[in-house]
Amino acid sequence: MQKTISFPHMGNYNVPIENMLRHIFAGHKIMTAPNITKRTLELGSKHSPDFVCVPFKYNLGNYIEALESGANVLIQAGGGCRYGYYAEVQEQILRDLGYKFEFVKLMSGKVNPVDLYRVSKRIGTPLSFGRFLYFVLLAIDMVKKLDELEAYIRENVGFEVVEGSLERLHAELLERLKRVDCFKELRAVYKTYGEKIRGVEINKPDDCLKVGIVGELYTLMEPFSNFFLERELAKSRIQVSRFITVTYLLFEKSRMKKKTLKSAGRYLKYELGADGTDSVEKSKTLAEKGYDGMIHVKPFGCIPEINAMPVLQNISRDYKMPILYFSFDSQTSETGIKTRLEAFIDMITMRKEKGV
Amino acid sequence: MTVGIPRAMLYYRYGVLWETFLKELGCDVITSGETNRKTLRDGVNFSIDESCLASKIFMGHVYSLIGRCDYILIPRVVSYGTNNSVCTKFNAIYDIVKNTFDNVKILDYNIDAKNGKREAGSFIRMGKTLGSSLPKAFFAYKKAKRTQQLSEKQRFETQQMELDGCRGLKILVVSHPYNTYDRLVGYPIAEYIRRLGGLPVYADITDRKQSIAKSKELSESLYWIYNKELIGSIKLLENKVDGIILLTAFPCGPDSLVNELIMRKSKKVPTINIVLDELQGEAGLQTRIESFMDIIRERANIA
Amino acid sequence: MNQGYLGLDIGSISTKGVIIDENDKIIAGEYIWTQGNPIDAVKKILIELKKQITDKNIAVVSVGTTGSARKLIGSMLGANIVKNEITAHAVGTLSVYPDVRTIFEIGGQDSKIIIIDNGIVVDYAMNTLCAAGTGSFLSSQAKRLGVRVEDFGKIALTSSNPTKIAARCTVFAESDLVHKAQIGHKREDIIAGLCAAVVSNYLNNVGKGKAIRPPIVFQGGVSKNIGVIKAFEDVTKEKILVDENSHLMGAVGVAILSKKHRQDKDFNFNVCEMDFETKGIECGKCPNNCEIICFYRNGRLIDAWGNRCQNGDVMAMASKNMTSV
Repeated sequence: MQKTISFPHMGNYNVPIENMLRHIFAGHKIMTAPNITKRTLELGSKHSPDFVCVPFKYNLGNYIEALESGANVLIQAGGGCRYGYYAEVQEQILRDLGYKFEFVKLMSGKVNPVDLYRVSKRIGTPLSFGRFLYFVLLAIDMVKKLDELEAYIRENVGFEVVEGSLERLHAELLERLKRVDCFKELRAVYKTYGEKIRGVEINKPDDCLKVGIVGELYTLMEPFSNFFLERELAKSRIQVSRFITVTYLLFEKSRMKKKTLKSAGRYLKYELGADGTDSVEKSKTLAEKGYDGMIHVKPFGCIPEINAMPVLQNISRDYKMPILYFSFDSQTSETGIKTRLEAFIDMITMRKEKGV
Repeated sequence: MTVGIPRAMLYYRYGVLWETFLKELGCDVITSGETNRKTLRDGVNFSIDESCLASKIFMGHVYSLIGRCDYILIPRVVSYGTNNSVCTKFNAIYDIVKNTFDNVKILDYNIDAKNGKREAGSFIRMGKTLGSSLPKAFFAYKKAKRTQQLSEKQRFETQQMELDGCRGLKILVVSHPYNTYDRLVGYPIAEYIRRLGGLPVYADITDRKQSIAKSKELSESLYWIYNKELIGSIKLLENKVDGIILLTAFPCGPDSLVNELIMRKSKKVPTINIVLDELQGEAGLQTRIESFMDIIRERANIA
Repeated sequence: MNQGYLGLDIGSISTKGVIIDENDKIIAGEYIWTQGNPIDAVKKILIELKKQITDKNIAVVSVGTTGSARKLIGSMLGANIVKNEITAHAVGTLSVYPDVRTIFEIGGQDSKIIIIDNGIVVDYAMNTLCAAGTGSFLSSQAKRLGVRVEDFGKIALTSSNPTKIAARCTVFAESDLVHKAQIGHKREDIIAGLCAAVVSNYLNNVGKGKAIRPPIVFQGGVSKNIGVIKAFEDVTKEKILVDENSHLMGAVGVAILSKKHRQDKDFNFNVCEMDFETKGIECGKCPNNCEIICFYRNGRLIDAWGNRCQNGDVMAMASKNMTSV
């Protein structure tokens, strides 16, 4: 029987994930959950526990909309803080709502290629282990390349001479990546688009405003959940730096752990849990680099990031670098966010003009 | 040498262990007083607004000890083993205190089984910090551990006896001990239950190993050990109690998910979910518990 | 003919307007309730401001707007600057108190703190959760106690033993207040307690982690409440400065900003006679279903906003089709 396999959104990562699943589950239908809209969040919130963190609500909304569109296999990953426990509770909620589906949980700590293959066999992959592994690695490489190009775009999109050039290339790149079938093709696409993207004419003064964004991974990486924060900053000609990406979380974070804690210096003795330590360390590092400000984002009630806040306040005071704090929830008002952000941009602009 | 112990968070789990250990090493021990309005107000003052009630209360207790002792004892806990971790608040509370108060000397120890940091070793290291020799610290820890286990056993047996002998309504209070026994949080609830002729039964007083094993019946992937102990306790006691109160401190991360699952999966016994924050009015709480117990009685009458 | 600069601060509760001169001095100022209708409120204010400058030989040459209805009114008046209220308040206050280092602001529904160093905003915060501890909270509690909110401050000063009231959340505070009244606390003590609660709530929420240093200027509607001023002084142990025009600072600030960006285009007060209308339409072109606000002057679409994507770009469509939407 043909299955329809779906998974929740986060930023543009649906592109590599969809690509991987399409290859692994040839013969089945792969369906990225419908794009996140207000309805997604409303649906998710309606059926979620009251004060669970907001990514849970987005994921649940994605699942419900995917099920409505005919999905019957749902995938959830997990690990770290509350995220590792989302799957079990979400499955229960969806079952209580009466949906029929197969739920696949990929928990961190237990994820290795052999287990993944076993799970994929159960769902119905026709591939050999070797081919299976090939497409997993292809997707991983795609994530790395995508993260790299997106980092460049993020830092430069505010300064393009012809407005919209990078956004257009970015959209083209994502479409192109969906169709990639092998490493050779991926390398070619990366090369072509890398050149095109880096070739876009940029007019960036050396002393442009620089803002770093840190915080909880989902609200950092899913633009809908942070009211398109990065885009708003770019509109004001600000260089935006962000370190948390899937590449960082999966392949660099654990390797860097000791270094990160050490680099946080006198501010921390221990790790704060999840990505709290990274928020502290990156804020300190960027303050030392002379960044004009930081924006700290998190879902309302996010414990590891709340843990980081008293430390961030100290960094802000010691380095005289303003930090804007955002907490996102299903009730967050867009106007409120816009006003605060606008004031923040005004503030760092005036500080720069007067040379504070 | 005087060591101060904040009467909050893990005190309610390890208080006996700490006190015995420190006294064995010749330290004077002062424990902060029961939580009162001032402790809470101070705690709120020194906490990030969105922090959970329990951690705010903790900060209030730390503040009340500043200047009264040489060290304040603050443990740091990450995990007791694979799939037995704790809320990240316990990872960070040492650094939160450090970054909030300038003038505080902390005596800390670290439990992080994945990274080889276990209780015994951590206590011996703590003993060294306090200037005692390795054997002395070791024996002090041994003794403290025994005393702790004994006190837990006694509490367990007392509760069993009360349960067997009680003819009124037995209400299982499922909550982290720092909520259950806090003077401002869970204590009034137990009092209401008693005043209404019921017996409060505490989910945290349990055989932990048995509880953890039993928790699988309610949740297979749960990895917060404290919550595992609590929900296992529900399974162990559900045939012996008449009602269950899930009590949580706003906005507790683990409870936000675990209590949702319990409400959906554990349907044998009438259950209510009470969320407390720092502004909870007492009158409302009393009404809720009264009506809950009335409903249970009504049901029993019908049956 | 001298030049004047118009600044309007349109908040959810009240609307403030000023005209300033070349030296940032207020030559006309007015304050009225918004009453849920910012357009009418602005018209009324303009008529009043016009009256105040009739014999003064002044031409208004630029307009700025701030406050929660800044975009709507900016569009209505063809403002040359539309600014958020934090920046506007800071600029306005600095024009009167060049040395100010801390600004407390408590308005109808918002409260904020602004930290200034050498004349520049270096840090700020706004209330996050709800309207608790703001002007509307005090008004509703005043009503509950049967007292005019204007008298709150005076009554509070007569208390020697303020009642402790939890005021983080309006709902909780109300039940707490009822409870305290029922168990026999005196009215003046409860009122003083409310003032103290507003202050502690403010310092715990927006003021948390901020370096509060004198000179401290307090503004916004609640700054007229002497009970709150005293409570602030008790807690901070500093003198709290309140300007007689403290409620106009946002308007002054945006007038100054507008002066800086002036295009010297004479402002015509006849907008008061024009007919303005907003219509909310649901876009419906994608599941976001954005509510798009269309803004009409004398029946013609002049602006639209609220769309998240190109699908809802009503202005672009209107100019393309040249048909009315």
